[in-house]
Amino acid sequence: MTSISIPSAAEEGAQHAAPSLADPRRASWWVLTVFLTPALAVYVGLTAYPAFRTFYDSFFTIEGLDATFVGLDNYRALMSDETFWVSVRNTFIWSFIAPVLDVVTGLLLALALYAGVPAARFLRVAWFTPVLLSYVVVAILWMWIFNYDWGILNAMLRAVGLGALASSWLGDPNLALGALIVTHAWKWAGFNMVVCLAAIHSLPREVLEASELDNCGWGAKLRYVIVPMLRPTLLNLYILAFIGKMKIFDLVWIMTQGGPLWATETVSTYVYKRAFNWNTFDLGYPSAIASVWFVVVCAAVIILNRLLATRERLEY
Amino acid sequence: MAAMLAERAPLPRFFSRGALALVLGLYTIYTLGPFLWLATMSVRTTAEISADHYAWPKVFHWEQFRIAWVDSDFATYFWNSTIVVVGAVAVVTLLGAAAAHALARYRFRGNRLVYGILFSSIIFPPQITLISLYQILVDYNLYNSLLGLTLVYVSLQLPLTVYLLEGFFARIPQDLFDAAKIDGYGDLEIFRRIVLPIGMPAIATTLILNFIQLWNEFLFAVVLITDPDKRTLPVGIRAFMGDHFQDIGMIATGVMISVIPVIIVYIFFSEKLIRGMTAGAIK
Repeated sequence: MTSISIPSAAEEGAQHAAPSLADPRRASWWVLTVFLTPALAVYVGLTAYPAFRTFYDSFFTIEGLDATFVGLDNYRALMSDETFWVSVRNTFIWSFIAPVLDVVTGLLLALALYAGVPAARFLRVAWFTPVLLSYVVVAILWMWIFNYDWGILNAMLRAVGLGALASSWLGDPNLALGALIVTHAWKWAGFNMVVCLAAIHSLPREVLEASELDNCGWGAKLRYVIVPMLRPTLLNLYILAFIGKMKIFDLVWIMTQGGPLWATETVSTYVYKRAFNWNTFDLGYPSAIASVWFVVVCAAVIILNRLLATRERLEY
Repeated sequence: MAAMLAERAPLPRFFSRGALALVLGLYTIYTLGPFLWLATMSVRTTAEISADHYAWPKVFHWEQFRIAWVDSDFATYFWNSTIVVVGAVAVVTLLGAAAAHALARYRFRGNRLVYGILFSSIIFPPQITLISLYQILVDYNLYNSLLGLTLVYVSLQLPLTVYLLEGFFARIPQDLFDAAKIDGYGDLEIFRRIVLPIGMPAIATTLILNFIQLWNEFLFAVVLITDPDKRTLPVGIRAFMGDHFQDIGMIATGVMISVIPVIIVYIFFSEKLIRGMTAGAIK
């Protein structure tokens, strides 16, 4: 670090001394304060404080300006709240299963591009487009696609003589969650594709060439070379998708509002309903749900990291 | 995958090439089709759409955009979104870049702790802050104001900004900083005249990513804004749809208005955008 400055004889003799202030990697507290304070102020004021306040509020019943201390009553009520458990079940189904769909689709698309299909540049841009659309736009589009009377899905089923299968995709409790999962996967497959593609391109070329010299077919190359080497990226993508789905709100809220019959209720939509949508006027109970869910999400991310990433450490 | 396996089997090669092309073609229709359908509907009137939902527009009703812009308040929503998003992105980039520079460049006790604290909030489910932010903004008279929403947006994008920029700034060679020190640059000058110009590619990526994520943000906007005059585009579209459920043509036009800026950004900056989105996920 200090190789540029010419050390004086005295400093040469005092090797044990702490690095001098001339070390360019050191800064005065004043400088650090100037650089870090604004960001930390935003963090403390708009992330840390609200998060603590939500925890704190979860021990109260809060109606307007009146806060009544109720201890653990909110949490006790939560344990026997059937709607809450249904929303937990739906969110878990979505969070654990759907990421597999996202990541596998993304990997297959990336491999197709890597294998050198024509017009790869165009295809990459085309497949990535849904990632950029807002959930509001995606939700509206897919509500139309799933429309019973004129949606493209039912129109196609009727066109090929399978009119009996035409359904009210978002209105049937057995189908609604699946319909939402498909919609969500439509939006996110492109993201997984570009990440996989970038990871494949960054694989050491020698290994891939060696496998080709060994007369290794595509299937074997995929199974024994590419997928094992992409493991850290694929796991990272799985965890990213998992986090995203544990938080899912917008899509559900616009397409089904958690209905029909709570079939698509997620924890996020339930918190929102209890806080701002139902006329219960109590912010304490939804705070308790949010607190529980905060712990669950953080714990799940930590556990997944430990379970899946045995050797490689993940950033998330 | 069958197609790829067939690289080694000569006979079914032609067939499987075709199968692969077919699958990829269908997938392309699957991703682009809905969007093109939306685009055609945005220049057709609702009456035309009701007659046939999938017809190509016979007459391009561009006036639909004028009607949406002027008569259906989409201009208000558009400018509200613009003010909030541009403000928040500018502030978060500056704050985030300053913090990222300090964390990437200087050694001090607690460096990694500060980084971890700033970064870890990226996994927080939004509800943990949502309800309290609502109360806090009400307390400070920032509820139902664009300024309040802007501040919240800054806090939402801060972790990602610090994460992306710290990673890039840490790779700027230390020699540059040593040379600048010798030339007598102060710490603030180093930030302004070395880090910001050299870091411009990463900063541009962060700007674009933050812009798109905030332009599309819905949950905080719908909770923190109630006044119809202050709605951002996602909230405005959703409200319009609630009031005019049958008016498919006008909804499609409004949706197109919200999508066009994103598409323009994508056309010009697709490489940067994709790089930014992948940066976080590859290790």
